[in-house]
Amino acid sequence: MFSIIYYIREFLRPQWITTFFTAKTAPLVTPPYFRDFPELTDKECTHCLACMMICPAPDAITVVKREEIWRPEITKGHCIRCGLCIEACPEDVLTSGRILAYKKEEELTLKGTFHIEIDQSKCMGCGNCTVACPVNREIDPSLRSSGTSSSGEVIMRVDTGQNKVLHEEKCTGCKTCEESCSNQAIRVARVVEALQGVEE
Amino acid sequence: MSLLQSLKNAVRSRSIHVAYVNVGSCNGCDIEILACLSPRYDIEQYGIYVHNNPREADVLLITGAFSPQWEDKLKPLWDKIPHPKVAVAIGNCPISGCVFNRPETLVDPPVSKHIPIAAEIPGCPPRPTEIISTILSLAPIIFKDYEETKK
Ligand code: SF4
Ligand code: SF4
Ligand code: SF4
Ligand code: SF4
Repeated sequence: MFSIIYYIREFLRPQWITTFFTAKTAPLVTPPYFRDFPELTDKECTHCLACMMICPAPDAITVVKREEIWRPEITKGHCIRCGLCIEACPEDVLTSGRILAYKKEEELTLKGTFHIEIDQSKCMGCGNCTVACPVNREIDPSLRSSGTSSSGEVIMRVDTGQNKVLHEEKCTGCKTCEESCSNQAIRVARVVEALQGVEE
Repeated sequence: MSLLQSLKNAVRSRSIHVAYVNVGSCNGCDIEILACLSPRYDIEQYGIYVHNNPREADVLLITGAFSPQWEDKLKPLWDKIPHPKVAVAIGNCPISGCVFNRPETLVDPPVSKHIPIAAEIPGCPPRPTEIISTILSLAPIIFKDYEETKK
């Protein structure tokens, strides 16, 4: 009996009633350190394309020239807000959340190379990829349509009926070769190294 | 506007029933939707209630890049929802296929090819605050004066 009276008294307290009817959780705010879609700083983009090469999401970032100035553009709905382009850009053109701050603090740089793999059981030595490769064509303009070349400086060439990789380190990762292969025998993989501290 | 309609508007803006469907996502966005239910965000203070039953829903949240199994299932599910209704795409997947949209994969984005989508929330995954504020700003616009504009 006493407890019922106690409860009624407790719930009739004006303060209890006002908190009961006006209670709200904190408003919906985004903290400043949230890693949102990358935004442009006022630094100048040098069109090195490091940001496009590191981006894991298809079609998320493109570097385009508008009014005579190169600028990266992020496509919402494609970008996964991973922040890798911010870390990869050598000029600090992009920013988001705290990334630029810790990039500076840890002296972080990302170094990317490309690894070319040719599945010899699928490759029929047609040389399509070798001819399509823009780097190859620049090194040896007289590259034959069969993919053979007299130059030893090309990325890859067809030799005794098989396509062989000679200079993987020259690859720029454009993946033109993958698209030109009808057997999906050639694969280009990006190998990224994160370095901390100043390079010697 | 009739009195009944204004009454309906008032009730509808404070009572939004939600169902969600995963048409092939990695679960990241589903976990963010789940986070909206937590005391930290507390969606019931806005009158949002998760039924997960299309027959009772007003808002359908869609996550995922649309895998082939959903080809014959999403449209019937959408038809089961009574009018007025609205579908919201959560995350990159229903918009673009996100990181899964590559050659030789089976996903078939965007989901707007299959059912009408009223709003898209980009992000992988979007923040719970982005999901809640989208629903709160969208639902009253869609549901306002529904009976009068229908005619
Ligand atoms: S944040 Fe990540 S996904 Fe978005 S553009 Fe940059 S690298 Fe690509
Ligand atoms: S934004 Fe940075 S990484 Fe991208 S092209 Fe410009 S300078 Fe290079
Ligand atoms: S990815 Fe581009 S540069 Fe590298 S081997 Fe293929 S075509 Fe040549
Ligand atoms: S948008 Fe990203 S987090 Fe959401 S389901 Fe797709 S891959 Fe997962």
